[in-house]
Amino acid sequence: MTPGGWIFLGASWLVILALTAFSMYRVLRAKEQDSPPPPAPPR
Amino acid sequence: MARERWGSRLGIIMAVAGSAIGLGNFLRFPVQAAKNGGGAFMIPYFVALLLVGLPLMWIEWTIGRFGGGFEHSTAPGMFHTLWNKNRFIKYFGVIGIFGPIVIYIYYVYIESWLLGYSWFALTGAYNPCNTQEKMAAFLHGYQGVEQNAYFSGLGPAYLFFVITFATNILILYGGIQRGIETVCKYGLPLLFVLGAVLVARVFSLGAPDPAVPENNVVNGLGYLWNPDWTALARAKVWLAAAGQIFFTLSVGIGVILTYASYLTPKDDVALSGLTAAAWNELAEVIIGGSVVIPAAFAFFGPSATTEIAKGGAFNLGFVTMPLVLQQMPWGHLLGFAWFVLLFIAGITSSISLAQPAIAFLEDEFDLSKKEATLLFGLNTFVLCHACIFFLGSGVVDELDFWGGTFCLVLFATVETILFAWVFGTEKAWTELHVGADITIPRVYRFVIKYLTPAFLLLILGFWLVQEGIPVIMMKNVPAANVRYVLGTRILLVALFADLAAMVWFAWRRRRAKEAVA
Repeated sequence: MTPGGWIFLGASWLVILALTAFSMYRVLRAKEQDSPPPPAPPR
Repeated sequence: MARERWGSRLGIIMAVAGSAIGLGNFLRFPVQAAKNGGGAFMIPYFVALLLVGLPLMWIEWTIGRFGGGFEHSTAPGMFHTLWNKNRFIKYFGVIGIFGPIVIYIYYVYIESWLLGYSWFALTGAYNPCNTQEKMAAFLHGYQGVEQNAYFSGLGPAYLFFVITFATNILILYGGIQRGIETVCKYGLPLLFVLGAVLVARVFSLGAPDPAVPENNVVNGLGYLWNPDWTALARAKVWLAAAGQIFFTLSVGIGVILTYASYLTPKDDVALSGLTAAAWNELAEVIIGGSVVIPAAFAFFGPSATTEIAKGGAFNLGFVTMPLVLQQMPWGHLLGFAWFVLLFIAGITSSISLAQPAIAFLEDEFDLSKKEATLLFGLNTFVLCHACIFFLGSGVVDELDFWGGTFCLVLFATVETILFAWVFGTEKAWTELHVGADITIPRVYRFVIKYLTPAFLLLILGFWLVQEGIPVIMMKNVPAANVRYVLGTRILLVALFADLAAMVWFAWRRRRAKEAVA
């Protein structure tokens, strides 16, 4: 494998992993915000 | 009757990703990359993802959710709501039901081969095949294309087809939440686990034959990833990249429209569309690019890998991979993992292909989910027999051309123009951002209005000249197959006319109901 091959493999993996991580992080964060607050503790 | 809804946001993301992740991710992508410039192929590939793939994802999710708000789950109704002054646009939308049915007819049969091969891997049925020729003979025997020492008839293939078909119908019978969503929520993680196991095994192969140390995995990765810069100057390479992005994301078929129609009007589509696309890319580039070609290279070397790649995706999946995997320790389990991975990819796609027709029957003819599923099942079960018994006569290729290629490109081009130009960029942009959890860069207003339709028109034009017209004119069809190809075309015209008549009848019913109300 040439250095160019490693660069393309690494860059492609990095872009896709970053895209997946970013989008899943946002989805999970939005899910947390959407979920109703826990019920207030009994007084 | 209350409209069905997705149970969770991850559920629809997994369902759309499951629809997009198919055999092409693991078999077509590595071949396309290796043939079109290696690592350099990724430049046009990512450009096409940004200019065609993501915009089409967002367009389809938005149209789907918008149409769902009017109780429409399929393209005829959705297109009618986008352009209600036009009486004919709903008939164009028929493609959004016709295309998925046509693909489903042959796809579910190919999917059944994967179930069959999972069984053969576990039981060691193909273990005696230790050369490409013997493994190809095993496949041809199974398909019934030839009678040989391995199979004397279509019995095993038919049995696995019936099991696969029944499984599909059972899942669809469960509906959106209990059927499709449940299968995708468990199936997709399993697919990624199996993919990770296979990637780890291939990466730890080293040089399987110490006598030929240059045939190793790192050089196999180099075969796929070393950039050939001259490829970037060839228009064919850019078109191949755009085509790959287009076909891999499951856009232009009509299934995302249907899936998104079960969202509520305030659900996000921008981030969900992006996330589904990201999962698809993960399966395609990271798993798809790391298994088949590097493994084939390590065992067979560069020149044989070139020949294998030329043999096409089926050859790679059903001939080369079982041959490679059975040479490793625990080969039967790795073979099983490979075919189960492909089977999961297949079934999460085939159920999505069935859903538009079922939803159409439910929406427009007031059938229950169970009635609609059974009616769809009975009709497609009969139609699938054309693929089973006339596989060697060009029927599947013909169905793939019309349903899997021609309709896709045409449908995507028209829906993009409809969304950006008829519905209008301003309204489209506002609709896309209703409930959105991310803000899409404003440059995409320009991309969706000008670049995506231009890119699609270019693909449509080039594709028609290079591949479409020769196939339409039957230039490469052997004389013995001409009558089967013509028969398939008659069947397709009848199916389209039937669906168009159903749309006409449904709208007449609708008008009558509105008049009474």
